[in-house]
Amino acid sequence: MSEFLEIWLPFIYLYGVGGALFLIGMILVRKSGSLNMKLKRHRYWFRVLVFGYFYFFIFHFLFTIAGLYW
Amino acid sequence: METFHNIGSSSDWIVMILYFLLVMLFGSYFGKYNRSTKDFFFGGRRFAWWLIAFSIVATGVGSHSFVKYSAKGFEHGFSSTMTYLNDWFFMPFFLFGWLPLIVYSKIRSIPEYFEKRFSPSARFLATILLLFYMVGYISIGFLTLGKAAMPMLPESFSLFGMQIHITLMGVIIFIAIITGIYITFGGQTAVIFTDLMQGFILLFAGLLLFFLGLDYIGGWGVLWNILPTEWKLPLANFNKPPDFNFVGIFWQDGIAGSIGFLFMNMGLVMRFMATKSVDEGRKAATFNVLFMLPISAVVVGNAGWIGKAISLISPDLISPNASPDQIFVVVANIVSHPGVFGFIMAALTAALMSTVDTLINATAAIYINDIHRPIKHLLKKDNLSVRATEKKELAAARYSSVIITILGVVGVLAFKGFPTVYEAHGYFHSTLTPPLVVAIFLGIFWKKFTPAAVITTFIVGVALMLLGAYYPGILIRPFAQGIQMNPEHPYSYIRAFYNLIVCAVPGVLVVYTTMKQKAIVESLKKKSNVNEIMIGMTIVSVTVFVLIVFNIFHLAFSFVLIAILFVTVPLLVNYYVAYDPVSQTEGLTVWSIARAKEMFKGRKVNEEEGERIIVHWKVVDGDDEYIQFSKNDMERMKAKVDDLVYICDKRKYLGGLKSVHQIYGEPHDEDGIVYIKNEHLLNGVFVEGRPLTAEKEM
Repeated sequence: MSEFLEIWLPFIYLYGVGGALFLIGMILVRKSGSLNMKLKRHRYWFRVLVFGYFYFFIFHFLFTIAGLYW
Repeated sequence: METFHNIGSSSDWIVMILYFLLVMLFGSYFGKYNRSTKDFFFGGRRFAWWLIAFSIVATGVGSHSFVKYSAKGFEHGFSSTMTYLNDWFFMPFFLFGWLPLIVYSKIRSIPEYFEKRFSPSARFLATILLLFYMVGYISIGFLTLGKAAMPMLPESFSLFGMQIHITLMGVIIFIAIITGIYITFGGQTAVIFTDLMQGFILLFAGLLLFFLGLDYIGGWGVLWNILPTEWKLPLANFNKPPDFNFVGIFWQDGIAGSIGFLFMNMGLVMRFMATKSVDEGRKAATFNVLFMLPISAVVVGNAGWIGKAISLISPDLISPNASPDQIFVVVANIVSHPGVFGFIMAALTAALMSTVDTLINATAAIYINDIHRPIKHLLKKDNLSVRATEKKELAAARYSSVIITILGVVGVLAFKGFPTVYEAHGYFHSTLTPPLVVAIFLGIFWKKFTPAAVITTFIVGVALMLLGAYYPGILIRPFAQGIQMNPEHPYSYIRAFYNLIVCAVPGVLVVYTTMKQKAIVESLKKKSNVNEIMIGMTIVSVTVFVLIVFNIFHLAFSFVLIAILFVTVPLLVNYYVAYDPVSQTEGLTVWSIARAKEMFKGRKVNEEEGERIIVHWKVVDGDDEYIQFSKNDMERMKAKVDDLVYICDKRKYLGGLKSVHQIYGEPHDEDGIVYIKNEHLLNGVFVEGRPLTAEKEM
């Protein structure tokens, strides 16, 4: 395995497989109407959920960069 | 491996004893808020999100975390706590799936959901699996507590001239007695408030240790520069070594563990159910995952990182081959002064106890709801008044807590053999969570998932899991994604992937062959000897399962047995279980949450957003559940008669402790006053002269 994959494969796997599950979850709760985008409160929660995914994505990305080059 | 004893001084022990007394007094005080089993287990659905979010810290961080993550931090660096940052993927499923469902369907335990959604037989199997899971979790907690305490104790002591050796099991039994006393008399409200206190103290103690450690080694720069690159990465190596690799731990913790923790850890689920509304539960869960878990990752892992740095700077102080499970205690002792060490250890052990007591409380809830009540119902011994029944159940809840504590201690024997608590816990999660995780998950999100499918998941899934445990080199290896097998503890983590697949696939296949099964059952029903056929099929199924459990035949023949089970179990369920796919999914899957909300309220939901108002209260005669506001106040809250209302002591720092949920009655003309009944006053524990806030719930 190349050095690049050695370092980045866990990150890609985490946000690839985890991201697919997250996406399925978002689609399911929206399609089922449980997350009802007509309600103001639910639109807020939709934004929080998307924010959370990228919050952890960016955190892991920056931490990996720091570990490698800082 | 180097082990330690007699760490700490007498002042540390004094601090620890005082801390524990304080925690027990605190818990006993809040025991007065338990007026029913509903309060004992669920805290009366009254609390604010922030109170629950902080009380979860001690539960989530507690049981095993300090010891196990410090151990892996000492061995592998920052990636030791990677599992604290992988829970977000399931938040849509939890926040808008399981959480509203479990609150609105008014179920009191996870097995009860299985009965409503599937059948009593599904509930029975879910109860067995869940009790294994919960008692196993308690055992892991006790094992960790024992391992944390051992380095502080001497190897032996003398009593009345007798030399007594201190053993791990002896320490665990002693700790279990203290835990049992506290939980038995406290209940859920006590657990929430002691956890709240301990949550704060735990974070403080963990961060204090981190800063003391950094100060000891010379600052953050020294720690960062002394660690090799791979130790500074946030995620472990993809598939090596076998005892700590990313992909195995991702499936064990990120998938099975996250779903297990959010969906089937009754301790945690009950905590969310104690919030005053679903939205408050969402806030608590979100705040916990976004902010508290990342902080907790530092809190629980830092002793290992500091320990590694010390071992590189001064190998004479901490040898590189020091026992990883003792590293937290050793580092805490090195970097802190006497007394401070006692405080840190008290915070650790108290947090561990918090997790254990939460789990004991939750397991007692399962016992009462899924064993005690159904048995009483079966024996038709339920002709007592509601209050008398409540009193008896509260007593039964307390006795069952004691028995569960004992079972938890006995269960430690199953996990003692693992090299570290981390691996024991990983194995536990990989093995005990998949059947329930798959069943709950498919039950909530897939309307087509039938009783035949869920029971096949439980029975055929468990049978295939057992085969995987017997033949890991053949069955789990294809799922191992390059992880080498450790023959002593084969595939401790990645077996979760195999187990999830073998539990899910039979269930899914059964769903897609439902019509075929029904056709076979219908043709069997036409035969005159159908009863004998079905009894014979039951005997064959049980025999086959027992043969697989004891691994009597070779693998190839075991697969023939699995094929037999896969055919007989769905047919038996289709024959014996009455299932209505419409009524038994209504309000019980994510596809009908609006209906669940209506069923919760008992009438149409009023979603209009109103104001939160401040009112004074006045007790009036009556014993119904209605409370009355003025017409103007109702208008401000956008409330109608029969809507649900939440009233709470205005002091926010109480977090909803003094509050009740009631129903709007006919309005009066006295603005700023709410008429309540004496029972509401007793439940809400309102204080004379103190104003209340009132808001419409739905």
